[in-house]
Amino acid sequence: MRREVLLLIARQFWANAFKSKAIYFLLGLTAVLLLYAAYSGFRYHEQNHFREGHQEMARESWESNPDKHPHRMAHFGTFAFRLKHPLSTFDFGIESFTGNAVFLEAHKQNTTNFSEASFSTSLIRFGELSMAMILQIILPLMIFFIGYAAIVADRENGTLKILLTQGTSWKEILYGKALGLAGISLLFYLPFVLIAVLMLALEEHATADDWTRLMVILITYLLYLVILSMITIVVSASSSTSKNALVKLLGLWLLLIVVLPRTAQSVGTYLYPTPTKLEFRSAIEEEVIQFGDSHDPNDPYYQSIKDSVLQVHNVQSTEELPFNYSGFQMFTGEKISAEIYKRHQGMLMQQYQKQNQLTKWLAVANPYLGIKSLSMSLCGTDLASYISFQLQAEDYRYQLAQTMNELQMKYIKANVASSEGQVNVVDAKEWKAFPDFSYQYPTVGQAIQNDALATASVLFWLLLCIGMMNHWSDKASAL
Amino acid sequence: MYQLLLQQFLRTKTCQLGLALVLILGILSIITGKQFLLDQEKIASQVAAKQGEHIERNLELHGDDLPLLLYYLKFSLVSQPYPLAGLSIGQKDVNPSVQRVTILTLEGQKYDADLVNPTKLLYGNLDLSFIIVYLFPLLIIAFTYNLFSEEAESGTWKMVNTMAKSTIQFLLAKLIVRFLLLASVLLLLLVAGVLIMGISINGIFLLFTISSILYLIFWFVLCFWIVCLRRNSNFNALTLLSFWLILVILLPAFINNYLTNAYPIPEALSTMIKQRDGYHKKWDSEKRATMVKFYEDYPQLKHHGFPPEEGFDWPWYYAMQHLGDLESREESNAMQEKIRLREEMSRLCARFIPSLHIQLAHNDMAGTGLLQHMNFLALTTDFHKKTRLYFYPKIFGNESPESVNWQDFQPNQIQLRGEISWFTVLMPLLLSILLFSGLSAMQIRKDLRA
Repeated sequence: MRREVLLLIARQFWANAFKSKAIYFLLGLTAVLLLYAAYSGFRYHEQNHFREGHQEMARESWESNPDKHPHRMAHFGTFAFRLKHPLSTFDFGIESFTGNAVFLEAHKQNTTNFSEASFSTSLIRFGELSMAMILQIILPLMIFFIGYAAIVADRENGTLKILLTQGTSWKEILYGKALGLAGISLLFYLPFVLIAVLMLALEEHATADDWTRLMVILITYLLYLVILSMITIVVSASSSTSKNALVKLLGLWLLLIVVLPRTAQSVGTYLYPTPTKLEFRSAIEEEVIQFGDSHDPNDPYYQSIKDSVLQVHNVQSTEELPFNYSGFQMFTGEKISAEIYKRHQGMLMQQYQKQNQLTKWLAVANPYLGIKSLSMSLCGTDLASYISFQLQAEDYRYQLAQTMNELQMKYIKANVASSEGQVNVVDAKEWKAFPDFSYQYPTVGQAIQNDALATASVLFWLLLCIGMMNHWSDKASAL
Repeated sequence: MYQLLLQQFLRTKTCQLGLALVLILGILSIITGKQFLLDQEKIASQVAAKQGEHIERNLELHGDDLPLLLYYLKFSLVSQPYPLAGLSIGQKDVNPSVQRVTILTLEGQKYDADLVNPTKLLYGNLDLSFIIVYLFPLLIIAFTYNLFSEEAESGTWKMVNTMAKSTIQFLLAKLIVRFLLLASVLLLLLVAGVLIMGISINGIFLLFTISSILYLIFWFVLCFWIVCLRRNSNFNALTLLSFWLILVILLPAFINNYLTNAYPIPEALSTMIKQRDGYHKKWDSEKRATMVKFYEDYPQLKHHGFPPEEGFDWPWYYAMQHLGDLESREESNAMQEKIRLREEMSRLCARFIPSLHIQLAHNDMAGTGLLQHMNFLALTTDFHKKTRLYFYPKIFGNESPESVNWQDFQPNQIQLRGEISWFTVLMPLLLSILLFSGLSAMQIRKDLRA
């Protein structure tokens, strides 16, 4: 391929595209959508102010407690509010469907509540307008529209024959047009890049990790647009009339973007059923009870632990122990129940991952699913990020409960059973000494690792498209 | 002529592909709906089965101490879906259909989320409503965009022009054939739904059917208008797809973003903290003050008097719990108010956008919308209050668990539907049909004059 010929064809395609008024309309429309999406993303992210505010409110309330029995504090508990990732302004992912706040207390793993969807009408199920959504769904349609006639129209009006007789090769024509089309999509894409960079630059909490994420995102979308440009050119080259090319491309768009994803997810969900909430809770409860009921003083399991503790300390009753025994019993109970919960929760999340797996695998056949999945992961708005929040919140809850149990063992007299009143209490400074909850986002490395398949699918599609371009360079005809 | 037109159309690849697609997805959607109903039934029967067991076990453990027993006991309220919910699952997969509440602070219990895969929620359900709202319009576009232009582009239009009495009648006949075909497919799917999901054929189902057919007619009329402009196939395909994109993807997303940002609900988070503080901080305050506040709400219990400030007291404990609800009421009400505002604004916007309107109407008819869930929450509050008020006198009067007939506490089953009026469901659809029929008629008249 000669470089100057490629550029010449690309430039000619570009100039041609700008002869029609439609492209200005599309550019204008994209600009409007982009601005609205960016503004929405910015406002969505502002929810963090509420959440940080409430996290502080919860902390103040925690610290304001007077001297108290530590077990009262374990039940007083606190809250974890899920913070949105700085890049969630770009891709909303599953965020509107995940819980945002969870109450953390001893013995009990509460649900993460108040997802945006739980406050919304079915309108939310039509989808949300984010920058990622425009790039994934709307821009392909525009690229198809601008490029569908690229080759086939030249064939229809005979210019193709002239080009070929003048010594231009098919390869040069195909790649030249693809380059031209990719150039135009780049023109559409550039404002997204600028705004995304600007938004992250204005975000005060942005870290180096966030910048790495953004760079990977921007490169991935660039590849996606190049893939789409090549698909358009291949379809155009392989169609007999421009109408056929258009219908094929629109059909492809509908199939890949509207029909397949929802169907795949439905089938995946059908294949891997999950337990109902009641089944889930009962399963945990039953397993915990099998160990023993920590609230029952005559429970055989706890009785045997008690006997061995008494033996080790060489005393006759718990009242002679150097620590508060009921604190110790709860410490043991918490450890057992938290482990059981964690295992069940892990299995449930695995089952969710399995339900999603079909959609993830389909990325091999559907570049849209690949980019969608990868984009969510990189923006910290995918299932893995949500699971990471839930795990951190549960870890914090566990630490809180156990710290309170330890305080009880240490400071409450051995023979005290009741937690009521101002008599058997621990100094309030201990509450301040227990650190606040602070959520750590997963790193970009983890995100890409979680979505290795999607990353591979984008690269696979790039190669596949190059293969198809080369194939059609040999096969295409001028007539 | 109709029979010939039908035969001719059935032979086209577009028709065969389109029908195959919608039939396959239609069957999948009915399986999805059936599965949803089965899951809901399973949940309800599990709750029913567990309830007796749950009470019995706790009676064994704490059978001699009513207040302690009530600390553990959960009472269930189940919102059973109508079979029609299988056709339009709506928000019923987001919001739980079971409330299992103790008589402790309710605000800390009633918003507990269900266990659902959020990715599944993101992609949405493949229910029949989705097929109707999204896919049928696409088929209508694919079947009609070249209604006129295919004849013009293949050169047969001149023949039609000379042979048919009226070219408009010819186009209309082609349109009607396509409409009848798609309407039969829709009816077929609905009948399959009725048979498989056990939907009863009543007024609501009739309205569901009629509104769906009207929605199809709306799209046919819209397509016909574009066809009447007599442009080429490419123009028609692109224009119609743009309409679809705007009505089914862009506008709804636009409005949803707007609503989310215009009505953020931080009150939900405040309610959470307030109800906890409202109850828990009472452990450190004067018992008498707590009881005074409690008796303001329930003066009928006032004669039980006040507990000593030292030591634990069960009536005081339940009074503290009640204050959790009382002191978070302002935030809780503000939250509900905002949700209602969102709901109202959605409906207002939907009146002008047939795709949104039909989706909301379907959910209303199936009882699966946000409004129905809000009503469920309100009923939960009533249920909680009724249960509390039954037990309060027994707790305050120091009665034993034997004074209660525990058999009476089976799960409460309710079914919820919004207020549905034929007028509000059908009017927006009829108006939009009228609008595009008018536009088509004007276009035709213009052509005739030219």
